[in-house]
Amino acid sequence: MIEELIGIVPVFATYYLVALGHGFFEKSGVLNLAIDGLFVLGATIAFALAAYTLNPWIGVIGSSIVCSLFGVFIAYVATKLPVSHGALGLSLMFLGYGLSLVVGIPVSNYVYAKALNPSTYTVPATDTVLVVLLASSILIGVVLHYVLDRTKLGAMIKASGEDPHVAEALGVDVVRTRVIAGVIGYALIGLGSAYFTLVWRSGWDPKIYLLGHGWIAFAISLAAGRQPILTMLTASLFAGLVRHQYVVQVALGLSTEIAKMLPFIVALASMTLFYVTPFKRKMASPKSLGKPYYREERTV
Amino acid sequence: MSAFLSNKVFSNISKFSREVKPLVSLRGITKKFPGVVALDNVSLDIYPGEILALLGENGAGKSTLVKILYGLYTPDKGEVIVYGEKTKILSPRHAVSKGIVLVPQTPHLIDSLSVLENLIIGLREYGVFARVDLIEDRVREIALSIGIELDPRKPVATLSYTQKQLVSIIRALLLKARVLLVDEATTLLPSREKEKFYTLFRRFTEGGGSVVLITHKVVEALRVADRIAVLKSGRLVGVIDRDRARVEDVRKLMFGKTVTNNLQVRLKRTEHIDGGKRVLEVMGLWVSRWFGDYVVRGVSLSVRRGEVVGIAGIAGNGQEELVQAIVGLVKPVRGSIRLLGVDVTGKGVELTRKLGLGYIPDIPMRYGVSIDNTIEENIAALLVRGKIIKWRRVNEFTSKLIREYDVKAPHPRVPVKVLSGGNLMKVLVSRELAIARSLLVAHNPTRALDEVSARLVRRMIREKAVGEGVGVLLVSEDLDEVLELSDRILVINSGRIVGVFDANRVERERIEELMVA
Repeated sequence: MIEELIGIVPVFATYYLVALGHGFFEKSGVLNLAIDGLFVLGATIAFALAAYTLNPWIGVIGSSIVCSLFGVFIAYVATKLPVSHGALGLSLMFLGYGLSLVVGIPVSNYVYAKALNPSTYTVPATDTVLVVLLASSILIGVVLHYVLDRTKLGAMIKASGEDPHVAEALGVDVVRTRVIAGVIGYALIGLGSAYFTLVWRSGWDPKIYLLGHGWIAFAISLAAGRQPILTMLTASLFAGLVRHQYVVQVALGLSTEIAKMLPFIVALASMTLFYVTPFKRKMASPKSLGKPYYREERTV
Repeated sequence: MSAFLSNKVFSNISKFSREVKPLVSLRGITKKFPGVVALDNVSLDIYPGEILALLGENGAGKSTLVKILYGLYTPDKGEVIVYGEKTKILSPRHAVSKGIVLVPQTPHLIDSLSVLENLIIGLREYGVFARVDLIEDRVREIALSIGIELDPRKPVATLSYTQKQLVSIIRALLLKARVLLVDEATTLLPSREKEKFYTLFRRFTEGGGSVVLITHKVVEALRVADRIAVLKSGRLVGVIDRDRARVEDVRKLMFGKTVTNNLQVRLKRTEHIDGGKRVLEVMGLWVSRWFGDYVVRGVSLSVRRGEVVGIAGIAGNGQEELVQAIVGLVKPVRGSIRLLGVDVTGKGVELTRKLGLGYIPDIPMRYGVSIDNTIEENIAALLVRGKIIKWRRVNEFTSKLIREYDVKAPHPRVPVKVLSGGNLMKVLVSRELAIARSLLVAHNPTRALDEVSARLVRRMIREKAVGEGVGVLLVSEDLDEVLELSDRILVINSGRIVGVFDANRVERERIEELMVA
């Protein structure tokens, strides 16, 4: 039992951090459809850097930095130019898939040629590591909750997401705020995606882009109304479902295909549940999420 | 004491205005929008210690001027001089750093955030990781000093309109404003609350600040302001000291023609209403807010053919919900609504519209028009009953409405969002009047309009009732309007009808009493 719970930790850390970063960024009003592609790219970059340097932590940091840069790009373009957030996000998603293959395949060959044992470049899943991983993820969640709920930055981010025009009139620099949210959000997405290859999977697979883990994180965040503390709950639930997919599958007598859809079915169900109860006001998406923002336009 | 002080300030202004340096000066400001010249070479000085009223009819360019001062628009030509220094005001942040703060008509506040959160995001002296409750004491102190009670930790959504406007004032004081731009911010307030604001403005100017008061209410401007500047079609047509200003002159400047002084002419009535068929019958209606209390509590009323029934009351006493239930926008909890004898209770807007209901909503932008679409499209959306739109006919019709209602728009194919607030309202009113066949529900139909337009709209509503036998349910916070238009007056208070009066035999005082009881 305890072993099974411990086995969930890397899965939980990955999902929780990615979902946290995603929710934090979306609170600022930018629709983040690039998440799955950049998750895959982050995971690949972490793997590549770790394999070349034989230091997993360089992989973790590198992935965070690269993803933050994408966060800056998305936040800036989506706010400064009246582009469709959807088109921008989906284009970046496919770009992420493509780049991850361009980067990942040569590194994969290099690892094969050098006959590198994964243990030389990944994080060993010792109890200490897992405890630290779990504690740090939860701490990050609590900090994010504090920032969103109690600080000026949190208010600026929420204001930019609710109504960028009013936020601007109240004195918020919407572009700057969204860029900050993009940097922090995507740094966490990078961190989580690095845990995917370096802790959870201990390795890289070219089919990584078919797995949809970024989307599961998306669903985790959405089902929790982008609230850091609630996300902890949904992330645990999803992590358990994914980690013990076979147990659930056997217990319920489901086919593999159906079992793979399970997280998404749960996501849909939890969203529906929230939105038909009085929770919906607390859980509602930012009002201006995904809306192009034109600064100077005559409105009445 | 305060009266004495304010008198002193007035005399100071007229004596020193030529010597005192202006806080802000505008020089040759021009601003064009697609198809409209909103401001044409406007030059104006704003002096410390004065209340300057900016008057003009709908679409005269008042709001544009203020938005330029607040950095929401950049002028095409001309310059802004702040404290003697040529300045390009780039953003609201920039304006605020220069001590220029806007108090708009529609509160610029984020509903889902707390008052404190709304306020701290504009304060530069706090870093991004500053705790929101650091400003709580200061906010409470300011709130107390201007005499309001309010829990600044509560979300803005829980505040009344008046409280929201007061939060905007608190914000200005918190930002240490020197120039307060008040853009129709008092227009929608009940008269008693209005006085409170004017006292606050006077106190603000006594401290050396200046207030720019944008309004289309001439009489109020003359009573409150030290100087009056009049805009017409984007041009500054006159600046008058209060001592020398007469209502008729200002009106003449505003509208370019002599306007009869008596704006409250009794309008023609429908005869023999009593025999008329009932168009609308509401029985024991209860409506609740989302997951909340009842806001309409057992209202029963009826409107006959050709009759204008006015509902008087202070904003927020259930009018909004009552109107929305009748129109079909919200589902009542209990009670029934019959339109032309058909039960329409909770059956949606499509049915009521089919039965010939016209609806002039309180917030036109939210319920009345689609602002990204053109005037023509907004008219066609409801006017055309078939599946195919004959655009040529729509165009002719729209052009006719634009002419009739004097809408300031270059042509029928401009998007509605380029229109000023008043002109947008005119488009909406003209459309709803054109399509109402059985009942017209009008909620504050003239609130955003200048006197001439308001009178036109009132006359059109009356004519609709008398000429076509349409029943009218007029819900208005403007008691004068209710008195002027109605055949029968109902008073609403806390969701209940607390009085019914024949408009020919009613004392204003009695209604006012019931409104606030």
